[in-house]
Amino acid sequence: MKKTFFSLASILAMSLTIQAQEVEFEEYDLDNGLHVILHQDNTAPVVTTSVMYHVGGKDREDGRTGFAHFFEHLLFEGTENIENGKWFEIVSSNGGTNNANTSQDRTYYYEVFPSNNLELGLWMESERMLHPIIKQDGVDTQNEVVKEERRLRYDNSPYGQFLFAISEQLFKNHPYKDPNVGYMEDLDAASLQEFQDYFKKYYKPNNAVLVVAGDIEVDETKKMIEDYFGPIPSGPELERSYPTEAPITEATRTQFYDSNIQVPAILTAYRTPGYGDRDAYVLNMISSYLSDGKSSKLYKKMVDDEKKALQIGAINLEQEDYGMYIIFGLPLGETSLDTLLEGMEEEIAKLRNELISESDYEKLQNKAETNFVNSNSSVSGIANTLARNYMLYDDTNLINSEIEIYRSITREEIKEVANKYLKPNQRVEVEYLPKKEEQ
Amino acid sequence: MKNIFFSLLFICSLGAVAQIDRSTQPKPGPAPEINLSEPETFTLKNGLKVIVVENHKLPRVSYTLTLDNPPIAEGEKTGAAALSGALLGKGSANISKDDFNEEVDYMGARMNFGSQYASAGGLSQYAERILELLADAAIHPNFTQEEFEKEQDILIESLKTNEKSVEAAAGKVSRALLYGKDHPKGEFETQESIEGITLADAKAFYNKAFIPNNAYLVVVGDVDYKDIKDWVTTYFKDWKKGAALSNDFSNPENVATTEINFVDMPNAVQSQVIVENLVDLKMSDPDYFPALMANQILGGGGEGRLFLNLREDKGYTYGAYSSINNDKYGKTSFSASASVRNMVTDSSVVAFLEEIDKIRQEPVTEKDLKNTKAKYIGSFVRSLEQPSTIARFALNKETEGLPEDFYQNYLSKINAVTIEDVQRVAKKYFLSDNARIVIAGKGSEVLENLEKVSFNGKTIPVKYYDKNANNVAKPSYEVAMPEGLTATDVFNSYIEAVGGQEAVAGINSIMMLGEGSVQGTPLKLTIKKTSNNQYLEEISVMGNVMSKQVLNGDSGSVSKQGQTMNLPAEQIKALKKEAAIIPEMAMLGDETITLKGVEKVDGKDAYVIQLTDAKKAFYATESGLKLKEETTQQMQGQTFVQTMLFDDYKSVGGVLFPHKLSQSMGPQNIEFTFTEIKVNEGVSDADFQ
Repeated sequence: MKKTFFSLASILAMSLTIQAQEVEFEEYDLDNGLHVILHQDNTAPVVTTSVMYHVGGKDREDGRTGFAHFFEHLLFEGTENIENGKWFEIVSSNGGTNNANTSQDRTYYYEVFPSNNLELGLWMESERMLHPIIKQDGVDTQNEVVKEERRLRYDNSPYGQFLFAISEQLFKNHPYKDPNVGYMEDLDAASLQEFQDYFKKYYKPNNAVLVVAGDIEVDETKKMIEDYFGPIPSGPELERSYPTEAPITEATRTQFYDSNIQVPAILTAYRTPGYGDRDAYVLNMISSYLSDGKSSKLYKKMVDDEKKALQIGAINLEQEDYGMYIIFGLPLGETSLDTLLEGMEEEIAKLRNELISESDYEKLQNKAETNFVNSNSSVSGIANTLARNYMLYDDTNLINSEIEIYRSITREEIKEVANKYLKPNQRVEVEYLPKKEEQ
Repeated sequence: MKNIFFSLLFICSLGAVAQIDRSTQPKPGPAPEINLSEPETFTLKNGLKVIVVENHKLPRVSYTLTLDNPPIAEGEKTGAAALSGALLGKGSANISKDDFNEEVDYMGARMNFGSQYASAGGLSQYAERILELLADAAIHPNFTQEEFEKEQDILIESLKTNEKSVEAAAGKVSRALLYGKDHPKGEFETQESIEGITLADAKAFYNKAFIPNNAYLVVVGDVDYKDIKDWVTTYFKDWKKGAALSNDFSNPENVATTEINFVDMPNAVQSQVIVENLVDLKMSDPDYFPALMANQILGGGGEGRLFLNLREDKGYTYGAYSSINNDKYGKTSFSASASVRNMVTDSSVVAFLEEIDKIRQEPVTEKDLKNTKAKYIGSFVRSLEQPSTIARFALNKETEGLPEDFYQNYLSKINAVTIEDVQRVAKKYFLSDNARIVIAGKGSEVLENLEKVSFNGKTIPVKYYDKNANNVAKPSYEVAMPEGLTATDVFNSYIEAVGGQEAVAGINSIMMLGEGSVQGTPLKLTIKKTSNNQYLEEISVMGNVMSKQVLNGDSGSVSKQGQTMNLPAEQIKALKKEAAIIPEMAMLGDETITLKGVEKVDGKDAYVIQLTDAKKAFYATESGLKLKEETTQQMQGQTFVQTMLFDDYKSVGGVLFPHKLSQSMGPQNIEFTFTEIKVNEGVSDADFQ
């Protein structure tokens, strides 16, 4: 059992340094391999219990996509001690709220309760890990629900398929190529046995992290955790290997059609490194430089001054194995998609060829400080960050130290990273176009 | 600052348990203590009231300026409000737009403006400068013609981006119908209205609406009350009082009987269904808490009845919810809504009405009410984590005319709600007999069943609207059928179109070889038919036969992946009909087959023929050719529609045959192209053994 107490050494690297509240936490492993993180904050009578499983959209075989997201739904169906359909009722009738979400890399389940229901939250999450009921009935119901979710979020929603359009171009081998929500026919074709096997493989204590944060007493909480989670058997260690991608050396141009839109969009994307890579932080700063705020380069030039774009944005979409650096624009009036693309490339070329100004650099630092302060403003947000930092960054204390990484990034480094990842021959271009109906 | 402590009304059972028993749900511990603090407030001479909540946990501050104005009608200038809001925050009379944006971003701050709203936030070390910039931009705005034109373009463009959004169309039409298009809550922007607005109109709106008379500035964060008082007094002193705004509008009324208002959206893959009616409800009304409880039980979340019924039980939707609003200025709405898949649009309407009716007719259970109270109490407790909650409470007390102890008594008011209260308010506010059911969806797929929807023994009338809430005629895909036309006429014109009776009668056998693919896997399709009730359909993948269907006179079988099953007599009979080389020949004069109407198939008008209860065929009105067949199947209690499209008709032996078939069911789509079609050759009796 490892036990760590962190205390952040105050670092005064810059003239402007914020004394943001330090997040104290304690972490250890149960014998079955479940990692536990506790964060005590007794200022409000609220507690978050959450479990992050290291399973996401990318954990699948060809022809069986969308399983992790499907499980996000399925694991609310009930357990041996929680009657089918009662999950939400138990939570809300005890004053709590709960939800779950799934990315390509991990699944996160959580409850927030008034703090006198801590034990209830632990019981529910341990029930889910120990013995959920996975039956054909539940599979059939959730299959329909997931289809509706897909229609609502993607098929019926303007620009809803934006991420599919990019990821299928950016990835040819790695499972990131397929939508996290999966293909409907894969879920239709999957047998009950396959779902049960999937659960056995991935939803084990040694593939999960439990976070309890908020108005708790540490010793009492540890005992309850041991009581509820200790008896859950661990599973074999997972072998993770995903196909890799060859570097992109030549730009490609494809078209994607969406029947829900009238105004087209141009999307361009670059493949970038995964979670925790220092370059990923630099890319976040570059996004901020390009499109965060009205004085950001792309916004100011293309939306504000030249009035060529209705909307423009740069996002560094971080993932575990590879990131996606995406720039998108919606043209205003008669502007062509190519004009937008040229405008985007002009600004990126400046990043590759010149150092950004001192004042822009200070602005980026101020933005990073603000994000840092805001990131820890709720206990449930802190719980999520702790789980993510442990599971995907292998460094729980990043919640306190991440700002130091941003502080240490230099202007030279920004230029280097732009040259490393954001060259025109490294990008995929997608024309996202309205699908014409034959009327 | 005064603090009020009180204890939650949780019932708690406390007791040390040595061993856990996971088969029983853990009981809550002792109720946590709640600490409700009061913010400090002051008022400027111009009317601006300031609410300050000091909280030093994080080094940040937020400012929110809200104007408690009545709704303002814009009439033919609808969009002037939005444009005036869009022009705010572009610098001020004292600072250029670029310098303003640069400085806001430099501080890492955020700043947002609306037509009657402004907010900002950032690190507390910049608290004063952020407030100064916010005040300056709000009170001394910088309206220029150049920026106006740009915002006008953007607003028009953003209308276009929503043009095909089913949800947006349903929302817009539902508000327009509920309140009326001349009511501030029902009016909406159009390209014409936006194009008709000038810079002067936007300025006029700002001058009229952006006034301190009923303005509130809420400050939360790591600041000092005295500093705030100094700063606000300095930076907002130039803000001049305006003329009081009137709150005099046409009073909308509910419909006399429930009706469906349908908006046709040909691109929809889901229907947006909104069941709604007008209500009069204020936060200060005694009905407020019972109405919250009743709505919560009906559709307030994942444990609401609507969600449990439409999503969990039936799988119609990703989520179904209801909401009830409150408005001290006049009528507001109760509404229940969901995005449902096309095929269950009608069933969803019924499910909504049944649930609404049920909560009106039957008392809720003790447990329902108890759970719902617990949910509200929990949400109240959880909300206290955010310091902005205290500010929101103070603001509500001011703007909604609530008693001083409203929030101290909040939990006991909730606990006092009875089962009778819930039923009484459900009857009063959830009007299943006077509801508008606004649906935006794909008419060609949903209307037929929607027109049959009945509730409590009465068919619900359907009225049709365009996306701008104008009453229109029923969409055309089911009309325009020549009088006296019969199914036999349609079959005759089809036979004529493919080559005429004589040519068709001259065909004794046919062989068709096709290629297709499903998700990248190549498939080969072989079809052979003779005029002696012989039929073969075989699908193979890379030489392996995947499925095979054979009919030979009075016997027949189906094989799938190595397993063969003989067909029962009933299916053989059905198969015989389809097995004919041109099945339409055999159906001439069959009175069980009816002509249903005209619908569009890929943009072409087509006659719809009901072949059997489960099967329809579609023939182009113009060319006479068959375009589509549609088969409805029941599987595991769900209904699926399988469609087959026919295309690329080419002549073989004097008769036209479709050379392209596409079959689809749900998301799956298989296309076949016939590479070879032979008439009267290549078929022998041995093929059907």
